[in-house]
Amino acid sequence: MDETVIKEESAKGNQMMGIVAAVAGWIVPGLGHLLLRRWSKAAIYFLCVGSLALAGLAMRGGVFGASADDLFDRLGFFADLGAGIFYFLAHQLQAAGPDIAHATGDYGTRLFAAAGMLNFLTVLEAYDIGRGREPR
Amino acid sequence: MNFLFGNLTHFGALVFFALVISVTFAFLSKRGMAERAQYTLWAFLAFLLVAIGIGWLMYPFSQ
Repeated sequence: MDETVIKEESAKGNQMMGIVAAVAGWIVPGLGHLLLRRWSKAAIYFLCVGSLALAGLAMRGGVFGASADDLFDRLGFFADLGAGIFYFLAHQLQAAGPDIAHATGDYGTRLFAAAGMLNFLTVLEAYDIGRGREPR
Repeated sequence: MNFLFGNLTHFGALVFFALVISVTFAFLSKRGMAERAQYTLWAFLAFLLVAIGIGWLMYPFSQ
């Protein structure tokens, strides 16, 4: 096989690994790094994103739905979606429902959105590592 | 989780947020545990300092 073809095949494989790691890391924070054998990062990212998301829900923060009307709500939906499984299980985890009339609930809304955005950063890193571009 | 975070004050939420974000950023941007620990401490203190500083600057407008 030609060397160029081998390099292209290898790059394709790496790109596929990057995509798999990114999707896994989005669905379950840290799972992408776990697949890439970055044990400590996987554990820390799961704990950090998970604790932020669960704290947001425990504080009865609001979770934005897909049927957002204005730009702010759409941005909120995008941020919340980053939390992956915590977003999809939000209604089950937050039995009492949101209460954003109180300050604590409002802080919870921000913490949950921060968890989602933080997870997006870890997803980007998982994608890079999967492609063979280990961040410095 | 409710007993831990149910009645968190604004400052408590800030401390928790600062700690979690600092640790994650340290793992994202640094290698080696010593470097990460140093970065976590630095970023955590910077978060608190900036937040308290902005709080003091905003205080006159709350009256």
